[in-house]
Amino acid sequence: MAELTPFSYRPGKSFFHRSDVRCKLICFSLVSLSSLNAQAAGLGLLTFFLFIAMIHIRLSFRAVLWEMRYFLILLAFVFAARALSTPGEAIADLMIATVTKEGCNEGTLVCWRLLTVTCFALSFVSTTRTTEIKAGVYWFLKPLPFIPAKRVATMLGLTIRFIPMILNQIRETADAQRARGIENRKNPVYRMVKFIIPLMRRTFEDADKLILAMEARCWSENRTDPELSFGKSDWSAVLAAAGFFILMITM
Amino acid sequence: MMKSSGQLRKTVYASLFAAFISAGAYLAIPIGPVPITLQTLFVLLTGLLLGSRWGAASVAIYLLAGIAGLPVFSAGTGGIGQIIGPKGGYLIGFLVAAYLTGLINEKTSGLSGRVISDVAAMLCGTAAIYLFGVIWLKIITGMEWGKTLSLGMYLFLPGDALKIAAAVFIAGALRPIIEVRKEK
Repeated sequence: MAELTPFSYRPGKSFFHRSDVRCKLICFSLVSLSSLNAQAAGLGLLTFFLFIAMIHIRLSFRAVLWEMRYFLILLAFVFAARALSTPGEAIADLMIATVTKEGCNEGTLVCWRLLTVTCFALSFVSTTRTTEIKAGVYWFLKPLPFIPAKRVATMLGLTIRFIPMILNQIRETADAQRARGIENRKNPVYRMVKFIIPLMRRTFEDADKLILAMEARCWSENRTDPELSFGKSDWSAVLAAAGFFILMITM
Repeated sequence: MMKSSGQLRKTVYASLFAAFISAGAYLAIPIGPVPITLQTLFVLLTGLLLGSRWGAASVAIYLLAGIAGLPVFSAGTGGIGQIIGPKGGYLIGFLVAAYLTGLINEKTSGLSGRVISDVAAMLCGTAAIYLFGVIWLKIITGMEWGKTLSLGMYLFLPGDALKIAAAVFIAGALRPIIEVRKEK
């Protein structure tokens, strides 16, 4: 996934690297859900924890900001919409609308919530191997009826493997077309069609080679996943996250 | 257990489409003020080329990868927080769109011409994406309807029209290739 985003897995020995993927997935979901209802005090606590965690796993703050640049623009929109549309005590009178105190508070809370969840996601990805995620997802789906857990885990693995392949193919196709002067064509439909047909056709050819290789190696769904171990520290992390979740929804 | 190589082929193709949808978020064609990403184009193509069941399975795998924390959603993010975040409605809409596009295409392809059936299916699919997307955006951000619609829908409609036009040609060119391979 390194080509999609700088937030691929980075090897390390921090607490987050060592904890079990299932523990991380549970905590991640609990924190995401609890932040929906969290007020300033809860979010402050969460942000403080997140700050310590990001220093602990050595995530670069500059890279985080760069990665979230589009997201931050969206947040600015959300904040502005809240600040202008919530009725309350006016603090600034613009030409078309008034900025209210309540609106600013509301907007800050909403943006803060979304921001903490996104930072959690980035921390999770940079401390968890893809194979571990696959094994974790399989473990969670296994007890569910009607869901072929092994098939799903396999498809997940294949998808992750295909993404860099597609991105490579995109780069090659775009270079080839630029070399042939595609920029002179202004019709967007023409450009999309002429770009996607060769892209998909070539990718399907690669996928067919993969299928052939899988069949030739007598591939089956019964594979050995990385061993997962849920230790004492994982239990305490899940308990802490659950405690936080209960605190947030009752507050 | 996989029953036959046909099953394996479908599994691989569905995974491939999930990867296309992930990569589509990064593929932007600059037209007018808003660059249009090709993500929804791939969602619609998934429904058209794989059919309702495998199309929906493909989008479900994409969503699952995102929920499990892999950075496949736009802006390199993932996690359940994105599903309940402002753009979550569109993501759920993708699932319905792929299924609906596939279903309508399967039901109507015998009745009318291929192109009409493709366009009708994709129009319904696009409508499903916006239905879920805009309502959820409104709930999460608390903006007024007018603002939500212009920010979450009107801005993208010209791009969608272009994508549907392109998808008709693309589906026409790729369908024979995929169908022959599926039968092999």
